[in-house]
Amino acid sequence: MSALLEVSGVTVRFGGVTALEAVSFTVGEGEFLCLIGPNGAGKTTLMRAATGIIKPDAGRIKLAGSDISRRPTHLRARMGLALTHQIVRPFRSMTVLDNVALAAGHRRLHHIFKAMGSVNRSAERLQARKYLELVGIEAVADKSVVGQPLGVAKRLEVARALALEPKILLLDEPLAGLNSVEAARLADTITAINRNGLTVVMIEHNLGEVLRVSQRLTVLDNGRLIADGLPVEVMRNPAVRAAYVGKESQHAAA
Amino acid sequence: MLHLELLIQGLIHGSMYAVIAVGLTLVYGLLRILHVAHAGLFALGGYLGLLITNTTTSLPLGMMGSAIIVGGCGMLIYRLCYQPILDRPPYVALIASIGLFIAMEEIFRLVFGPYGLTYSNPPLQSQVTLMGIHLRAAEIGMVISALLLLGMLSYLSQHTRIGIAWRATVDDPDIAKSFGIDTIKVRYLNFFIGSALAAIAGVFISLLSNLVEPTMGGVPSYKALAIIVLGGLGNVTGTLIASLLLGVVEAFGTIYIGSFLDRDAIAFAFLIVILMIRPQGLFAGK
Amino acid sequence: MGIYEISLATVVGINVILALGLNMISGFCGQISLGHAAFYGIGAYTAALLAKTGVPIWLTIAAGMISAGVAGLVVGLASLRVRHDFLAITTMGVGFLFLGIVRQQELLGGELGISGIPSAGLGKIGYLVVVLVIALLSAAFSLWIKRSWMGFAFDAVADDEDTARGLTVDVGAYKLAAFAMGTAMAGVAGGLYTFFARFLMPDDFGFITSITVLSMVAVGGIGSVFGVIAATIILTLMPEFFRFISDYKLLVYGTLLFAVMRFAPEGLAGFTRGLLARIREKQPAGETTE
Repeated sequence: MSALLEVSGVTVRFGGVTALEAVSFTVGEGEFLCLIGPNGAGKTTLMRAATGIIKPDAGRIKLAGSDISRRPTHLRARMGLALTHQIVRPFRSMTVLDNVALAAGHRRLHHIFKAMGSVNRSAERLQARKYLELVGIEAVADKSVVGQPLGVAKRLEVARALALEPKILLLDEPLAGLNSVEAARLADTITAINRNGLTVVMIEHNLGEVLRVSQRLTVLDNGRLIADGLPVEVMRNPAVRAAYVGKESQHAAA
Repeated sequence: MLHLELLIQGLIHGSMYAVIAVGLTLVYGLLRILHVAHAGLFALGGYLGLLITNTTTSLPLGMMGSAIIVGGCGMLIYRLCYQPILDRPPYVALIASIGLFIAMEEIFRLVFGPYGLTYSNPPLQSQVTLMGIHLRAAEIGMVISALLLLGMLSYLSQHTRIGIAWRATVDDPDIAKSFGIDTIKVRYLNFFIGSALAAIAGVFISLLSNLVEPTMGGVPSYKALAIIVLGGLGNVTGTLIASLLLGVVEAFGTIYIGSFLDRDAIAFAFLIVILMIRPQGLFAGK
Repeated sequence: MGIYEISLATVVGINVILALGLNMISGFCGQISLGHAAFYGIGAYTAALLAKTGVPIWLTIAAGMISAGVAGLVVGLASLRVRHDFLAITTMGVGFLFLGIVRQQELLGGELGISGIPSAGLGKIGYLVVVLVIALLSAAFSLWIKRSWMGFAFDAVADDEDTARGLTVDVGAYKLAAFAMGTAMAGVAGGLYTFFARFLMPDDFGFITSITVLSMVAVGGIGSVFGVIAATIILTLMPEFFRFISDYKLLVYGTLLFAVMRFAPEGLAGFTRGLLARIREKQPAGETTE
């Protein structure tokens, strides 16, 4: 299994706060990795550093062997890196279908003059419908995204990322806000996609689903990577328990 | 000698720009709106100041009356124009403000005539000589008022409850509300102070040229917009420094590159050059 | 049609091209420009100066289009560096800068402007036809872009730049393209204006003109081609209908601007859409796309 995403020594500081401290790990092709950790551990920051939204103060990121540390976000996306956001950001001026169609037809957007020349969206819209079916929201395909419930919006976010046909999919809390049925369904869909060959890294708090679907757990706490391995072993790791329990007792005391 | 004179002139104009620009940056800091209609309030201040002074022969009364009335108008503009459209994309407030400004200029022209009004007995015209430079009392008055007013503003924002409430609201309106701060009251106060300051600037300008005319708001306010970008949108101290800097740059620029670029364009040339070097403005953040 | 009506129609045509150019920049791609008149001016002045040295008319207009487009590229590049909050003021600055330079240079006519511009030789009606054809072409071009994948990308960029980047869109390149195309259209409008008026004054290309064009786009409905065309026609003709109270025309104009933004910010297009939606209330409607 070759390494698809390599994160080496990534450090991110915001003013006086160190959000990530020398984080290193590798994701192999075809893996399904779940990134967990208490609130504020730096999980989202790590994802954003991977996609280029945040520039690390130190460290390196490689995708399929190429160093992408200096590459702009849109080029990383073209290389096959897709991210869904924790706080969903659908294009509010478009329909649900068109949000995904844009992603499906992304190759048409790579060259400006080519983009100017092509008008036909029907092929991409057809493809988009398939992705909507995959996540179960094809019923609202032609509706505006404005006014859609969170469950729909979150699944739209995933469908849109899938339509890019990425090599690796980063998901930031895709299950948050979904009821247990929707969450289980979406988790199963993601698992199925992973079985078809898509590498997945998923941040999640919903430990129930995480333990059910993931083959590998990576734990962040206070910006540091404290555990990485099989779910069963990781959950037995005392440092991991301390991280979660510690935070819980802090909350209890507050 | 010439350089000193240019410097002083620059600082004098700069202090006027500061008094206008502060009102703009206060509104932007709070609401993220480019309040172009501020220019109309500036002109209104000049008109009211002149009319009250002419009627009562008292300049202090003219200034105070103008400041209070225009402050009230500012609050009215917030309530009637901006509050209902705060949730819209920013260009809506911008264009609404521009429409309002144009309408105000036209009302001044229709009500007070296109040629403007003058003081029947212009106060503060006496000449004073400072370090060999001739200044008019009005110019000195403007600088002193600017220092006083802005100093007061700075003190208020740091040491009074309402000032701290204002700063909290600018930083994070939701957290401010959860602390029980009445953000609506803060907004009204914001507009009152900014508009009153604009009115006072308007009165001083009218003293300098002994004229108020309908279009007097335009050019100083466009420059004020450039200034608040330079100074850091919402940053009062930065705006003050940027205003003085601009005044000085204009004074020297008119002499040295005036054959290439006219006076009003110098302000914007300066802005563009700075933004190219430092895209976040001279003083980013608060 | 009398000479007066022909002139009026020509001005409407020129304004449509100008407004559609700004609609490309601001409406399609979300970059609010307060200095559009500068590119109008660059096109006009380029055409005028070249024509006075004997260059054929239509070549000068093409040159006007290119110079305005190139200037747009430069300004667009610069504007990519600054925060979008600053863009409005930066473009305003560009407008004042253009005026400031033109006013001071004798070569460019200075304060007095440029006169003695040769005629296009088509007669008033012939010229009107050319202007209207180009206006129609501009509208067709705008509609094409809007429906193309470039327009699709513009929608995404105007909606949410960061998300667009995550979907492989080179946001900077698209913004630049919008800017250059929009300013090139302004340049064409400028060239056409030159041979219509045959006399250029700096004040014709000032901040008020920039605002006027922006109003046409805003009142029409930012992004809507038909809306902008309708608003341009109405706003250009309105002062003529109000001629009997011509003294109040700017007041009406400013109040209208304010009222539309305050009560119907989506402009004519939004208003029409709302009307049509209410008429179609009975059917299970999806969103109609333009």
